[in-house]
Amino acid sequence: MINTAQDLKEYKKRLKKALHNEFLRTTLKNFYEAYPAGRARALEGLDIQSLRAEIASCKDQALPRIEELFEAFKAQAEAAGVKVHLARTARDANEIIAAIAKDHGVRKIVKSKSMTAEETFLNHHLEEEGLEVVETDLGEWIIQLRREGPSHMVLPAIHLSRQEVAELFAKVTGEPQDPEDIGKLVKVARRELRKQFLSADMGISGANFAIAASGTLGIISNEGNARLITTLPRMHVALVGLDKLVPDLHTALTILKVLPPSATGQVITSYVTWITGAPECAAAPEGKKEMHVVFLDNGRLALARDPVFSQALRCVRCGACANVCPIYSLVGGHNYGHVYIGAIGLILTYFYHGRKNAQAIVQNCLNCQACKSVCPAGIDLPHLIKETYGEVLRQGYPKPFKNKLLARVLKDRRLFHFLLRRAYLAQKPLARSAEGFIRHLPFFFGKEHGFRSLPAIAKTPFRDMWPRLYERVDHPRYRVALFGGCLVDFVYPEQGHALVKLLKNRGVQLEYPMAQTCCGLPALAMGEKNVAREVALQNLKAFDPADYDYLITLCASCASHLKEAYPRLLADAPGLVGKVRQLTDKLMDFSSFMINVLRVSAEEFHGSRRKVAYHAPCHLCRGLGVTQEPRNLLAAAGLDYRTARREDVCCGMAGSYSFEFPELSAELLRQKLEAVEETGAELLVTDCPGCVLQLRGGIDKRGGKVRVKHIAEAVAEERKEP
Amino acid sequence: MNHYSDLEILKARAEAVQVVVTEVPDLAQAWRYAVELTQKQGGAALAAPGWDAESLAALEQECVQAGLRLFWQNLRNQVDGFHTGLTRADRGIAATGTLVLDSTSEDVRLATMLCKTYVAVLPRSRIKADALALEKELSRLMHSPPRYLAFITGASRTSDIERVLTLGVHGPLELHLLILED
Repeated sequence: MINTAQDLKEYKKRLKKALHNEFLRTTLKNFYEAYPAGRARALEGLDIQSLRAEIASCKDQALPRIEELFEAFKAQAEAAGVKVHLARTARDANEIIAAIAKDHGVRKIVKSKSMTAEETFLNHHLEEEGLEVVETDLGEWIIQLRREGPSHMVLPAIHLSRQEVAELFAKVTGEPQDPEDIGKLVKVARRELRKQFLSADMGISGANFAIAASGTLGIISNEGNARLITTLPRMHVALVGLDKLVPDLHTALTILKVLPPSATGQVITSYVTWITGAPECAAAPEGKKEMHVVFLDNGRLALARDPVFSQALRCVRCGACANVCPIYSLVGGHNYGHVYIGAIGLILTYFYHGRKNAQAIVQNCLNCQACKSVCPAGIDLPHLIKETYGEVLRQGYPKPFKNKLLARVLKDRRLFHFLLRRAYLAQKPLARSAEGFIRHLPFFFGKEHGFRSLPAIAKTPFRDMWPRLYERVDHPRYRVALFGGCLVDFVYPEQGHALVKLLKNRGVQLEYPMAQTCCGLPALAMGEKNVAREVALQNLKAFDPADYDYLITLCASCASHLKEAYPRLLADAPGLVGKVRQLTDKLMDFSSFMINVLRVSAEEFHGSRRKVAYHAPCHLCRGLGVTQEPRNLLAAAGLDYRTARREDVCCGMAGSYSFEFPELSAELLRQKLEAVEETGAELLVTDCPGCVLQLRGGIDKRGGKVRVKHIAEAVAEERKEP
Repeated sequence: MNHYSDLEILKARAEAVQVVVTEVPDLAQAWRYAVELTQKQGGAALAAPGWDAESLAALEQECVQAGLRLFWQNLRNQVDGFHTGLTRADRGIAATGTLVLDSTSEDVRLATMLCKTYVAVLPRSRIKADALALEKELSRLMHSPPRYLAFITGASRTSDIERVLTLGVHGPLELHLLILED
């Protein structure tokens, strides 16, 4: 049975165990690495962006009309001889289906895969009612025999090895099985399950689509078991979430274009079955199938009206969010969801399976945006995960001390900056001043935090250097404000200094408004929306966008937070909505400014051809969608850019994540640095001070030779004297 | 940029999912193909529902000559009794290499699901570029229930054990597509 960790301590214990499961790690890593190319191949020739927008908009329009669509479906289906039911709760659904079975003298049921039936724990209920239920999807059958929940929405048994399956099948058949012959193992399933198809009284399926216009069910499958269970037994019952209702075939066919590529990298699955009305069935008393469709509400109708969370119902259950999740690739589905797995699982668990099952797992998100970038329905998954965590906290999950501290400190810039300055003094005895690291971790860190060296707070923050660096420019071409962010200001002021050097003699009037403060991302990451809103207001006061042509940042995370979260946080702030829009319109990352605005060229640089590798920060390549400019800038600056594996995979920093889940962070960092070292680069550059912290600290710890710099520093070093 | 015909795209997409595609000039060739394939694979019977009487007569003659049995109805009584399923495909979808079958007849469903080898005959003129080009036609069918429509793309497959692609988990182990000149 499914047993999800309900507190962080237990959860972390299980994560550690998963990290040490060699088979799981290898199989998930192979899948993680193979998936993107498969998906891309299957989507070749399709305009995924516009398909995604179309699906999102179709779903968003359908959601407020679910009841209407349900009535339309019901009218069509009933006219064609199907009985349609609506279950308010999971228990209602199970009882309705059990009653249908009993009323018709059913003893054996064959099932095809249905996440909705997993959601309601239907099998468990039917078995308690004395019915025999056999899962017929191979993966589902395997986990049913093992009494486990699925570890992936599409590949439910991905966590199991061939040896484990062979052992299991040996028990089932009473004959030894060769684990090396997977074809033969599959034949065992074919033989065993064929008997079940032929002797069952009832088939239970889910559905990927319920088309309101015609009362049609659409079912996607590869194995063909859905066809068999809807054909051979005399009865068919489909359990369908209300969110699967679509107005018409057009919508279903549009979703079908992207669902299989997103799920398994297939252009289409082997079978797509469209059932309208009760079809002929020689095994049924009157030659016509007894057919029922049970729609499940279980909170969906209310969720559909939720201003924030309704988009979770756009989900088409492809599992892509798990396929690209760096955390899923390390710990697997049993540690990354309850019934629903992956990013969407962290959210839906809260709604369908309760706060207790969600409260630990929902904290395990890097906010790396990989899931959001592939979701075929355009769900803003990282945003909803943070919102879910915020809900969990509001509902009484004990607030971590860091949240209380943060709420107090972050809202008061003067206090926050005072504390940072005090931290410099406090760390002095610990500092290795030459390298910029602290020698020992402060006492409150456990040894699992030792995977990277931590930087020392700078002696002179950027804001204190600024009066000396400031230069008035007569008749500037561009008026530019720098949004520094805490790390540039207090830890890596040299990155800001590099920017100043690079802008010298280019007609840029640079300003550094002193009232600016933390962007607020750490607050949002901890589910503290009010604090995030408060600092957003302060920053908007510090920067009047009307004063500048551009607002530039050296920190991808700050930039992406300003751009994405500020409009949401301040949507209800009178008089500020327009200002926020101006601010986000003028916001630009460093590399884009250099390439697209200043149009720097090779003549300005020495052309040293130093070998560099590049790490693409999550919040730059996915958050802001900036991918070409940093690479073009490296080329323009005369650096020899070497591509690395996993270039756009999270380095594991992810703000406070690396402190909450140090072992996972360390593993992502290890994989990242290995890939960088393979390139033979002497220098690793990136455009986010947070990533610099992680990567530089990691190199220091492993005694690596690669130096890590912010791209602004690396490019500044290459510039000829202006 | 090359422009491929719908037929070429369909062939390429189908072959990419292990479908064996062959062009045949007429139905007689299709019968011969299905019968020889069945013999070669050691099968003893074919199930061929949904054909008109004239076609069936010709097919039956081929089967008798080859010593094979032929079923075309009441297949539920023969669930383990045929090696090859042989049906017409109503439509082809080039973009995905898909066959569309109106499988409202239970016999058509059983023939395509329970066989080991499935042979589909698709008239060349019945190929469309993509599924949306069939939207109206399919929608019309869905509005005259009961209707059981199937998109079939390759053989039954699974990757549920260590993600190793394996064909024939429940349905056919092979799909042969015969493109019929018309």
